Amino acid sequence: MTIYSLYIFDRHCTCVYYQDWHRTKRPKPAVEGGILPAVSHAITPQPLPADSNAGSTFTSPRNTLTSTSGVVIAVNEPISPGPGLYQTPPSHQQTQANPPPSTSGLAFDEEAKLVYGVILSLRNMIKRISGRDEQFTNYRTSTYKLHLYETLSGYKFVMLSDPNTDSLRFVLRQIYNGPFLDFVVRNPLVIMDSKERGIDNEYFRANTDRLVKGLSVFP
Amino acid sequence: MAIFSLWVINKAGGLVYQRNFADGLAQLTSNEHLVLAGTLHGIHAITSRLSPIGASSGAQVIEGESFKMTIFLTATGTKFVLFTSLHETTTDSVLQRVYEAYADAVMKNPFHTPEMPIRSEGFDSRITALIGTGQS
Repeated sequence: MTIYSLYIFDRHCTCVYYQDWHRTKRPKPAVEGGILPAVSHAITPQPLPADSNAGSTFTSPRNTLTSTSGVVIAVNEPISPGPGLYQTPPSHQQTQANPPPSTSGLAFDEEAKLVYGVILSLRNMIKRISGRDEQFTNYRTSTYKLHLYETLSGYKFVMLSDPNTDSLRFVLRQIYNGPFLDFVVRNPLVIMDSKERGIDNEYFRANTDRLVKGLSVFP
Repeated sequence: MAIFSLWVINKAGGLVYQRNFADGLAQLTSNEHLVLAGTLHGIHAITSRLSPIGASSGAQVIEGESFKMTIFLTATGTKFVLFTSLHETTTDSVLQRVYEAYADAVMKNPFHTPEMPIRSEGFDSRITALIGTGQS
């Protein structure tokens, strides 16, 4: 039983906050311009070492479908490079169609986009299938469980935990009711909905940390 | 406790079998079912990449507020998806037996084209025996 990570997305599909606890596979720092500032220190692009790991270690979300598992669309579509950070050699593009099964971690901005894409698709899918205004709550794989809580204002709280935990929506709701309202919404220094900055600040981070570490599911 | 619906998705993401057993979910057209099955196939591939601790399977159970989807992925890439109420506990064994029925009545059928929609009375009747009577 443990908790791995917390993502908060705003209604403009952008990740505005990230925190993790027991991940053994941390995401790589995001590429420059991939995420907003003030999302998380841990995954903000580092100005100097970014050049050394550019290029070869970059993975694209288009790798997610291997050629055997579905209709692969736009495999060879040229990927527009980030702002001068990496150059994809042509041979590399071809190999991307068939990635090794256990790739190293994604860059954080890619990972955040995948998480958002999954929850958005599942949310729409659950609504369509149920025919009601029903929320998607969680899904489980062999190694983790993803929980979603969406506020009326369109903020999406996503938590990854051990697959055997019960629903953690109440925790996400507690984070919203407690630290989020106190240190983000009522914090005059945080500009919400800015599309330019995340919501990270030390009070919110410390309080969320304390709340999560106090849970019975946290070891 | 109810089993609402069953999907069989081939390894390319195409819906090859769809059947409803109980009311409770929206009545969708076959085209909508096809689109949703394709979406699920894509989501399933992505979820295995998001693991925080190394290699992971794709999504196995997806829950809404009143129903859940249990996904069983075979070694050959075929997915069996069972839509049930949240507290249904027999999903894993039902899916296992659906797979058996699929192996017996579909894969051993010389008139079945692999990866194409399943039109087999034998499979239909095995599923009816398995699920049609199994619900309260």
